[in-house]
Amino acid sequence: MPRVLSQGKPYLLLFLLLSMNLILMASSVRGVQGNSLLEGAVMSIAAPFLKSASSLSSGAGGLWTRYADLRAVEQENRRLRAQIGSLTLEARAAEETRQEARRLRDLLALRDEAGQEALVAARVIARGASGAARTLLIGTGSRDGVDVNQPVVSPRGVVGRVIEVAPGVSKVQSILDPNSGVAAILQRTRVQGVLVGEGEETCRLEFVGEGASVEVGDVVVTSGLDEIYPKGRILGLVVTVGEAQGLTRYVQVRPEVDLRRLEEVLVLRAPRPEAPGGGS
Amino acid sequence: MTILRAVLALGGVCLLQMLLGLHLPAVARRCDLYSIFTVYIALTRPQRPALLLSSGAGLAQDALAEAVLGLNGFKKTLLAYLVGTLGSLFMLNQTIPRFGILFATALFDPLADLALSLAMGRHFVFPGIWDVLQSGLGNGLVGLLAFWIAARIPS
Repeated sequence: MPRVLSQGKPYLLLFLLLSMNLILMASSVRGVQGNSLLEGAVMSIAAPFLKSASSLSSGAGGLWTRYADLRAVEQENRRLRAQIGSLTLEARAAEETRQEARRLRDLLALRDEAGQEALVAARVIARGASGAARTLLIGTGSRDGVDVNQPVVSPRGVVGRVIEVAPGVSKVQSILDPNSGVAAILQRTRVQGVLVGEGEETCRLEFVGEGASVEVGDVVVTSGLDEIYPKGRILGLVVTVGEAQGLTRYVQVRPEVDLRRLEEVLVLRAPRPEAPGGGS
Repeated sequence: MTILRAVLALGGVCLLQMLLGLHLPAVARRCDLYSIFTVYIALTRPQRPALLLSSGAGLAQDALAEAVLGLNGFKKTLLAYLVGTLGSLFMLNQTIPRFGILFATALFDPLADLALSLAMGRHFVFPGIWDVLQSGLGNGLVGLLAFWIAARIPS
């Protein structure tokens, strides 16, 4: 202070005194809006720093929040994936149940049509293919009244006949088996023949005369002449009509029933039902 | 004039202004002894002590008059600097120039008040010209009297 009082221009002292008085004024004066001028001045000076600090703080906070959110999203994603897997399994099970219900409903309709006493429902438990033989193993047997030579059908058509019976299971010879033979008739022209399996996916209709009227797409049904299969059950559709070979001609039939996907069947017990519209 | 004498003089100014305010308020409104003290100090003392004493006088006026602390301190400091600067440039030791300076303080005071009020966002009503003239006249006459008395006080 002595140097300030004794040397040079008094600008520094003037500045100090004016500043001191200004600070005193600002600290005691409230502005029109009621805020302290000193506070206002300090806030004005500090505002940029406060804003920067706030921005940095909020930025860091935002980063942390986003990181935490990402972690939460990752966990939620994992949980949702597991949930999706579980729901997918449930949906598949539900779809399976729905399809099974549809099949069983068809079987029930068939059973109602044939009479409850005449039908035994059975589940296909195995498929056999030894050599050219095409057989099925079903989950009903003699205990349920199943016997040899009883026809096995599905809502779509004929499957085959029972060839072996045990108390709880039965073996079914499908119409695809080369050793099988089903008395058949063309629904449209009433041309008769015997349907014999070809072992793979088709059968052939034998004993069809060279002059018989046969076309691709004709429906082949059981004729009932073999006294095994009821009359009028659908066997399949004609897919190939060959040239005449001597007295007969080759007629290839694709079974209406997809034996590879068959799961439930009905065993027809005596008396054999007569299907409506089965022809004469 | 030593610092002690200056401080004593400032005390006397404070006492007189208070007495005037109590007993002769009309005179006190037209005569600012603190401004007269500031002009006297600024014209007779070096600038630094003058600035300090003027600032002290203003702060004392603020404290005693219950004004905003620092308002008169600021004004008196600035007044002392301006008068001291003028005194170093012009011959102001004659009666008429001194009267002019003392008269001008009456105008400087409301102008400074106005500027500071605007700066601080406060309301201020500028006094009428008649009031300013009366204050200038009062400051001038009382100030000349003060100069005359001070000149007769033995150092």
